[in-house]
Amino acid sequence: MPSLSSEERQQLHDSLLELLGDKYTFEQWKKIARSPGGEGFGRAEWKEFAEMGWLGIALPEEVGGSAGGLTELGIIMAAVGRFILLEPFLGTVVLGASAIEKAGTEQQRQMLSEVAAGKLLLAFCHGEPGGGYARDWVKTVATRDGAGYVLTGEKGFAIGAHAADQLIVSARIGSENGPVGLFLVPRSAAGVALNQAPALDGRPGATVTLAGVKVGADAKLGTSDSDRLGVIDEVIDRGVIMACAEAVGAMASVTDQTVEYLKTRQQFGQPLSKFQVLQHRLVDMSVSTEEARAIVHAALQALDDKTRDAQRLVWMAKVKTAQCARFVGGQGIQLHGGMGMTDELSIGHYYKRLTMCETLFGDSEWYLRQLSLRRDAA
Amino acid sequence: MFIRTVEHDTSLDKFRAEVRDFCERELPSVIREKQKRGQHLEKHEYISWLQRLGSRGWNTGKWPKEHGGLGWEPAQFLAFQEELGRAGAPPLMSFGPTMAGPVIYTFGNEAQKRQHLPGIIKGDLWWCQGYSEPGAGSDLAALKTRADRDGDDYIVNGQKIWTSTAHWADWMFALVRTDQTAKKQEGISFILIDMKTPGITVRPIIGITLGHHLNEVFFDNVRVPIANRIGEENKGWTYAKFLLANERVGNVDVAKVEGNIEQIRQLMAETREAGKPLSDDPTFNRRLAELEVGLATVKALMADQLAAARLSGAPSLMGAAALKLRGTELQQGILQTGLDVLGRHGMVYQSDALHAGWNGEMIGPESSADVIYEHLYRRAATIYGGSSEVQKNIIAKGALGL
Repeated sequence: MPSLSSEERQQLHDSLLELLGDKYTFEQWKKIARSPGGEGFGRAEWKEFAEMGWLGIALPEEVGGSAGGLTELGIIMAAVGRFILLEPFLGTVVLGASAIEKAGTEQQRQMLSEVAAGKLLLAFCHGEPGGGYARDWVKTVATRDGAGYVLTGEKGFAIGAHAADQLIVSARIGSENGPVGLFLVPRSAAGVALNQAPALDGRPGATVTLAGVKVGADAKLGTSDSDRLGVIDEVIDRGVIMACAEAVGAMASVTDQTVEYLKTRQQFGQPLSKFQVLQHRLVDMSVSTEEARAIVHAALQALDDKTRDAQRLVWMAKVKTAQCARFVGGQGIQLHGGMGMTDELSIGHYYKRLTMCETLFGDSEWYLRQLSLRRDAA
Repeated sequence: MFIRTVEHDTSLDKFRAEVRDFCERELPSVIREKQKRGQHLEKHEYISWLQRLGSRGWNTGKWPKEHGGLGWEPAQFLAFQEELGRAGAPPLMSFGPTMAGPVIYTFGNEAQKRQHLPGIIKGDLWWCQGYSEPGAGSDLAALKTRADRDGDDYIVNGQKIWTSTAHWADWMFALVRTDQTAKKQEGISFILIDMKTPGITVRPIIGITLGHHLNEVFFDNVRVPIANRIGEENKGWTYAKFLLANERVGNVDVAKVEGNIEQIRQLMAETREAGKPLSDDPTFNRRLAELEVGLATVKALMADQLAAARLSGAPSLMGAAALKLRGTELQQGILQTGLDVLGRHGMVYQSDALHAGWNGEMIGPESSADVIYEHLYRRAATIYGGSSEVQKNIIAKGALGL
């Protein structure tokens, strides 16, 4: 069952668009993204989003959240996409918070109140070199050291890791064949080395090397040594659907911007929007956006309703959204012509963000393969 | 974005079971057999099934209660369609329940509702759609069939074409020109014509399927009471557009598309290449997965449109057009995959096998003739109900303001 009524969702949606439309203009976006020596996102903005209650929307009430469902978080992520917000929603609010919520002890879950308040940034460091998109590829090892652990291994490029207070690191407990656990590792801990770099869309992240990083017993999420690959699977699925929701918002914006541009751009003595071949292209962009919106909505609802086919729907939503994102993003540039190629115009930045959303956690071909391999299990 | 909820109602499990039981008990074995082989039904066979559904009010379950429907939520209608498909029942008929009915209860007068709605609800009467003409296809408003007043009657003269199942129909809802001088959209009226009226001639058009589904209908001084006009004279275009949005949603039968995928999956399992079943082939499996993604998308679009229809009385023009576009492309994609499998059996098309009583020897998989028939027939899916290109014009103008 949805936790908010349709009216409340509408209000949330309206307040997002109103506030962001007002404050998060593309000029402001450029200022934040290009601020010299900056972190690639706005701390002041993050604080304001926390005050609006957006960061805690899907967190439990006891940690200051609104106990909303994933559908509500999806509404926020669509707005994140519509304005290509630079702040670390995916790493902190989606992946990090859900790992702690699903795997953490009562005490560890108290950290979520800091997430809701905008005071704690997280990064989910799971993927490793050589693993591709495989979700169960973990070579990092956490050997026991008295009551605590020593972590050793390499983690692949994680968005937002450069600024995270805590890294959530997956590692095999005891030995390379041990069960996979999740560990909270302060970014500043001794033995943690980050190699910071921007991704295709310019957003910073880092690969993480763990060279004998000592952590206490309470660094492990939860108390048991049971295998956490199931939790990791759920966390990644949440990342998948939220990246899709973000892409849907970005596609809607690209389509709107392109429609408006073609109405003003004059060629051959008339606005480009009068050419039927371009009208039909715009329709295909708009219908693609609509398709992705519909299936992402269905998947969000399946997750909230905990239906049996929820994971399959999430994966299907990823396939469809990735394909639509590639088309809409590409055509956004194509129809803007040379202007679409400039760093000064927003359309290219939407294209880059859509490309990130398309490939994060696995691209359409990877999910098509998983869907066909697991068909009998469905 | 993601605001409206299509309720997931577990009470539907009970309803689903009820539909399954009903089909198990009531679906005549001759229909079940024919459906399994993809054979054509006779009219009396189809009607007998629709009447059984009608005894439960299920033909028109999604109509509002005040008009004799059951006031189904969208999810219930989808569940119903799905269960029918899985039980091997024939697809629902759309001309009465989805097209004529809603126009009559929305724009018709009390006498018209009393006269026509019960027959649609009970499944007694067959309707057909008199829209397209030789000179008016995609440009529907260019239609020329005229209705001139003569006392209490209109005298109808002209011709309709591509009229599906006109040879079975008891009634036709038709667009006719009642003002020869007005701008083309403004001189059209929406009338109901009793197909037994003298002066009507129905001629078959044999399609590329080699089957008889389409017709030409000729009107030679056909008398239609003015009382059979829906709504106001010369305002027919408004009602026609209302109906078209419903038609486009009805153009996509999710259960049928789901059945098509199942059929192709079967074909892959039955077809061997170098000794191995195609169902083990990674390329075909990838295609199947992509078609399944398409189906899930179309289902999601459909759920949205049905929800919109309940909230505001009609599907949105944009949403319906998007659904029609993608739903029909998907159906063609599925059937194309079927043909790509059948190429391995020599693409034999024994269309006679689709008629009851054929006792020749089938070459290749049993569903070959049905899959090829469906493939050929559904080439029209991106044409009927307004071609894909026309749908795009509609979205461009209506939704994007171009």
